[in-house]
Amino acid sequence: MENVTPDEKAPVPAKSRGLWHKIVQQRYLLLMSMPFVAWAFVFSYLPLWGWTMAFQNYRPARGFFEQEWVGFEHFKSLFEDPTFYLVMRNTLAMSFMGLIAGFTVPILFAIIVNEVRHMALKRFVQTVSYLPHFVSWVVVAGIVTKMLSSEGAVNDLLLSLNLIDQPIQFMAQGSWFWYIVTASDIWKEMGWNAIIYLAAMAGIGPELYEAARVDGASRVRQAWHITLPGIRTTIIILLIMSIGHLISIGFEKQFLLGNPLVSDYSQVLDLYALNYGLGMGRFSFGTAINMLNSAVSIVLLLLANGMFKRMSKESIF
Amino acid sequence: MIKKGKKVVALFTTFLLSASLMAGCTGGDNTTKNSVDEGTSNGASANGDSLEPITFTFFGEDPISNWNDMNDEVSKEITARTGVTLDAEFAVGDPAAKIAMMAASGQYPDIISAKGDINKLVDAGAVIDLTDLINEHAPNIKKVMGDYMNRAKYSLEDPAIYALPTYSAIDEVKFNAGGGSQLQHRVVKEAGYPEIRTVEDYERVIKEYLEKHPTDENGNKNIGVSLLADDWRIFITVTNNAMYHTGKPEDGEFKIDQETYEATYHYRDPAEKEYFRWLNHINAEGLLDPESFTQKYDEYKAKIASGRVLGLIDQDWQIGEAINSLSASGQFDKTYGYYPVTLSKDIKHPYFWPTGFMGGYGIAISSTAKDPVRIIKFLDFLASEEGQILTNWGIEGKHYVVENGKRVVPKEVQDRINSDSNAFYKESGLGNYWNIGVHYGDGVKDSTGNYFTKNNPDMEDTSNNTAEKETLAAYKIKNWKDLFPKEDEFKEKAYGAGWNISTPADSKATIIGKKMQDITWKRIPQIITAKPDQFDQLWDDYMKEIEASGVEEMEKEFTKYVQGRVELWGSGGK
Repeated sequence: MENVTPDEKAPVPAKSRGLWHKIVQQRYLLLMSMPFVAWAFVFSYLPLWGWTMAFQNYRPARGFFEQEWVGFEHFKSLFEDPTFYLVMRNTLAMSFMGLIAGFTVPILFAIIVNEVRHMALKRFVQTVSYLPHFVSWVVVAGIVTKMLSSEGAVNDLLLSLNLIDQPIQFMAQGSWFWYIVTASDIWKEMGWNAIIYLAAMAGIGPELYEAARVDGASRVRQAWHITLPGIRTTIIILLIMSIGHLISIGFEKQFLLGNPLVSDYSQVLDLYALNYGLGMGRFSFGTAINMLNSAVSIVLLLLANGMFKRMSKESIF
Repeated sequence: MIKKGKKVVALFTTFLLSASLMAGCTGGDNTTKNSVDEGTSNGASANGDSLEPITFTFFGEDPISNWNDMNDEVSKEITARTGVTLDAEFAVGDPAAKIAMMAASGQYPDIISAKGDINKLVDAGAVIDLTDLINEHAPNIKKVMGDYMNRAKYSLEDPAIYALPTYSAIDEVKFNAGGGSQLQHRVVKEAGYPEIRTVEDYERVIKEYLEKHPTDENGNKNIGVSLLADDWRIFITVTNNAMYHTGKPEDGEFKIDQETYEATYHYRDPAEKEYFRWLNHINAEGLLDPESFTQKYDEYKAKIASGRVLGLIDQDWQIGEAINSLSASGQFDKTYGYYPVTLSKDIKHPYFWPTGFMGGYGIAISSTAKDPVRIIKFLDFLASEEGQILTNWGIEGKHYVVENGKRVVPKEVQDRINSDSNAFYKESGLGNYWNIGVHYGDGVKDSTGNYFTKNNPDMEDTSNNTAEKETLAAYKIKNWKDLFPKEDEFKEKAYGAGWNISTPADSKATIIGKKMQDITWKRIPQIITAKPDQFDQLWDDYMKEIEASGVEEMEKEFTKYVQGRVELWGSGGK
């Protein structure tokens, strides 16, 4: 976008007239975008006013000017709370694991599906694989806990293969919790996430593959040298965007799959904000947590964007 | 193909956006309509008892499992008498968070049952003082509450009545036990009905039964004891039982000294360590369900309904649904008896320790309610004699008949209750209003000399549970209460119950209490499932952790609230 050639710039006589001219020229486009700008303003920027709550001892009944201002008090108690560091660790661990698995598995899957030449089979596999995306986490969590319970399918299988002689309590092992969450996430979202890569792959010109075949490249070689570079832009943009969401991973999975035995591993930031903020009626404390959350997200996003810009010239801004 | 796809995506997005805009608009419409309603109904109710139909929104923290959107027979009768229909919503998930949202948003339902979270609404100015409304419009509520009016007051500093105390029954004498430890009838039968009084007795019969019958007749594994740790339910089946087993009345998370009213975090009582040691022991013995701390409530209920769980340590209201389904399928020997199990014989099981009538939990009217006078009149109807008889007994001629001046449930209705109770309660709506209206307890008689509730000493044994009858006969008792120490063996608590004292959101007792809860909910399951030789070490770690997190500060703070409650209630009442 920035690479405007010099000769296009040349005929502009005065800057201000040029801007006005451009506005008039694009008036319909601008008009059409107005509702969306307004929408973004109302739903994304206006609520930021609520951040003032983080610096008050907010009480719902009082007006804005009657609130008691406490400065960084709530941030201080947040940083003094050891639980905060624990939930931060869990949040980052689970989101990094999700990020790594969430990028490798769907891409691999997309490549494999892409290689299937039988159209009906390909469509069938694709449909079946993305169906779990539409199943709610409540149901998925139910299935996972049932499968992993002491009389569940997994234990039955392991017992019948004589790999173990006592059923394993999968859900009671704190250190396994992160893996269980990541694995169920992969099961649920793999097919859905692969769709966008499959779409990107469909855009790669067939002549590239033909040329490679002429040169004697195997299918693995073709995937490595043509398919993967062909979807690189898509991968990087999605990666940057998900890094921005690293610490706001939600809490449904952890909330539904967790239990008291694994709470050291299952508590995440959003759940902490809910339990210690809203759940206790400490609105200001909850706001402070979410402000911090947003700040960290922006920093992560900028870092990732800058890193990729330098490394590969791809970035979202 | 790609192009077409893009178009579809664009269309879809547009659709979503417009849908959300439209949703916004409808929201607006509703509010205007509400305010119109307000105008008209206010005018109507001014001239006495208007029956003009009106709908009030209602939010309850406790789901009423048989709630049928007022399409049941009792609700229809209530609507016919008062003109009121409730549009009810119940908490899904964490009720505290829902109430907090409500307080922050300023959008309140007309009627709110907020239990212990009422403090959030009071702080937000979301609920109104009911004192004047009761005095002017609610003769029945005044009559039922009598001298207990003081106990409905919020606090010493703010002696307003925010919540009409509907969670406690007035002058109640309980006729049956619904707590203690439970054993399936087949287990005690097999053991030859020995005395079940201590944890050793309890453990022995389960152990012997499991050794003889590792599976039930269908080849499914029998389970010794199953516990439940799904969120707050860990209180009911795990931690509160430490208090019961050591002979302390249940006071939330505190042991309260009955003389000085000093509160101690109850886990710090050395006696409780022994209860948890026993749980740890039965876990090591393989008697405890290994899924105890990972299962969710629905899985737990399903497990009980399958009839495989030999013993429970729970309360009847939590397992009732599962037991109903066992009875409905005729598996009476797999339903449960209730035994006063404690750590040793010299400890009295405190199930019947009287709390007296308690304010605190109840129904509040919001500051934005359409027509508070209509609401209080509606609640007054529920508190009236005919209202209480209607909600407890049902409709005359349908759910009960009067024979020789006595209320009797006809046989065909009773058969239905026994065999198909969940459906029956859903259709009839009996019992749905128990915690909505101010009510008398079991054992109180109305003006005709009949009891207000169905649980009464005159009640004939109408249950068809043959196994239960057999067990009761073998122990030579009439009902489970006969096994427990009676009310008169204890001194009535001056403060009600610790769990029903709510502390302000920003109080140390609340904030440190939350921290304590997190530590305890994590530590206790770990301690119970640990190897027995690690028990002492883990327990010491747990004690150190709660001390480091300020347990003493919390105790001091809570003591103030208990003493405040004693003073508030002591100034009047019985």
